Amino acid sequence: MSSRGSLMFVLHAHLPYVNHPQDSGFLEENWFFEAVVETYVPIISALERLAGEGIRPGVAVSISPTLGAMLENEALEAKLQLYIESRLELLELELSRAHNDPALLRTVKLYLKLYEEAAELMHKYSGDLITPLKALQHAGQIEIITTSATHAVLPLLARPEAVRAQLAVAAEDYADRFNRKPAGFWLPECAYEPRLNSYLKLSGFNYTFTESHSVGLAAAAAPNGVYSPYRTSNGLGLFARDAASSREVWSSSFGYPGDPAYREFYRDFGYDGDYEYVRPYLGADGIRRPLGLKYHRITGAGSDLAAKQYYDPEAAMARVEAHASDFLARRMKQTDDFYAARGARPLIVSCYDAELFGHWWFEGPAFLESVIRKIRVERLPLQFVTPSEYLNSCQEPQELSPGISSWGENGYFDPWVNETNDFIYPAVYAATDKMIETANRFRNQDLSAVAARALNQAARETLLSQSSDWAFLLYIGSHAAYAKGRLEDHAANAVKLLGEVAEKKVDEAALAALEQKNSVFPRLDFRVFASVSKF
Amino acid sequence: MAELSRTLPAEDRLVLLPKNPGLFFFFWQFSSGRAAAFLSGAFSPEIELRLVCPDGGGPSQPVRADWQTGRGYVPVPEQCKTCQAALYALRGGSWEKLLESNQASAPLAAGMAEDRAYASLEFHKKVLS
Repeated sequence: MSSRGSLMFVLHAHLPYVNHPQDSGFLEENWFFEAVVETYVPIISALERLAGEGIRPGVAVSISPTLGAMLENEALEAKLQLYIESRLELLELELSRAHNDPALLRTVKLYLKLYEEAAELMHKYSGDLITPLKALQHAGQIEIITTSATHAVLPLLARPEAVRAQLAVAAEDYADRFNRKPAGFWLPECAYEPRLNSYLKLSGFNYTFTESHSVGLAAAAAPNGVYSPYRTSNGLGLFARDAASSREVWSSSFGYPGDPAYREFYRDFGYDGDYEYVRPYLGADGIRRPLGLKYHRITGAGSDLAAKQYYDPEAAMARVEAHASDFLARRMKQTDDFYAARGARPLIVSCYDAELFGHWWFEGPAFLESVIRKIRVERLPLQFVTPSEYLNSCQEPQELSPGISSWGENGYFDPWVNETNDFIYPAVYAATDKMIETANRFRNQDLSAVAARALNQAARETLLSQSSDWAFLLYIGSHAAYAKGRLEDHAANAVKLLGEVAEKKVDEAALAALEQKNSVFPRLDFRVFASVSKF
Repeated sequence: MAELSRTLPAEDRLVLLPKNPGLFFFFWQFSSGRAAAFLSGAFSPEIELRLVCPDGGGPSQPVRADWQTGRGYVPVPEQCKTCQAALYALRGGSWEKLLESNQASAPLAAGMAEDRAYASLEFHKKVLS
């Protein structure tokens, strides 16, 4: 059946760089372990299954450079293996405990399968999940794109040198990891402003994505709205996020993940279980915390956690199928409505944080797989398409200058600039300005090996201080002390190292410790921050 | 109000950042020499932030604050979307310009904020909590 329109799924996978090699049980490293088990492994498995069945997924996956670095970090891989083994050990105990409780036993077995699959996939790829992603891209099944080096919200970096550094490091990191130049760039938080066009183009990117209302805010009329790609005056391709397809997935009032049959996120066995029983699986401090084993379903909007009923995997999967069908029916109506109005086949661009699938919405990966499979199996008149494929095959896009926007709350920069987090910016700018000034001073000088290492590490610390995650964690009040500490550490580390180089007094032992801990971007050259870059 | 726990070497700096269609965020830092001038009374303790529009937009209402406040929010002037800030202090009864900021562009208002409050990890906060 011929296509009535195209669907583009963009999954943006990102975690802040969390690596504490000296600590065997660092709480925030669990973000990574949970995301691997609950999101990345299920999504990679789903993509591989589809490809194995001859169903080309055709999705775009954005892997942030910090996440990519963690996925390739051998120390984190070793800890991840221990994390999985620990959960499998607990689940073996849970099998016995749930032996006479069929309702609980079903979910225990489901988790056992989840963790076993994670262990198998990690073993299959020697602990490196970049390998299957690279293979999927190489086989033309998916397109992998990148984002700024440390997920900085670029419109909040006033210095052009800082923006250029975020882009140049991201492009180089991608080329090192995926053995090709990146075509697409995911703007962190979909945060766009027109001055980014030239920086993106100069960094070699062909296209990026903007929030829905950026099109409505454009100076020129855009009669196709979000349903076609655009190009900037300097030839950068632009895809606008379709609000409707996101709203159906994530709306707080009628989004799919709020279905009563789906797994409840906040009721966790780490809080429910007998303390002495779960104690070996909590952190060293013994404080109760989530273990990732959640045995209940949402049950009803606003229902008390204590009143949640047991999760029923079969009932949840039935809802997944229903929601996938509903999602596709709505997309077909969108395409029909657009065709009736404009006489053209639309492109629907659906962008999501990858971690929402699996980690937050437990059934999310199954939903994605079902949506992709149904198009083929049910011969629906829709086709999945990657961004590069679309740009290579569509007519010359209309030129457009989109408006300043983001996909954050209220559509601009409020989540990252407000009274809960605005105090961080003096530190970020102190490090950034000092880095630029020092890069300009030393860019053409002969440097000792130690001085060069210190400057390169200062550049890493500066980039890490610019991450959007610290401001966002402070805003939502989650791990706020950790976020504040990380930001202050990175800014202070950068300033200290730059001062030491200027005074020719580099503390080599301290430098080596930082290089081990904050080891992102191994080939980083500090000159990337220079005002006139050599790159 | 949260503050940084550590002090980094201070330099003269005024930065203007977009927040939303109605507000810019600004912050400033003074070098030790400038700070000493405030502490010695050479400058009055109150600073004034003025927005100027390189494209000739309408004037804005100045914002005044204690020199040690370090940051604040200023309304985006009507008819002016790209702005630059300048920070003044009183010396001997006259306003003296101390710092100039970068240029920053404010977004246009799109409305429909409620309709869009579902993206990204907003979901975690709004729905699952």
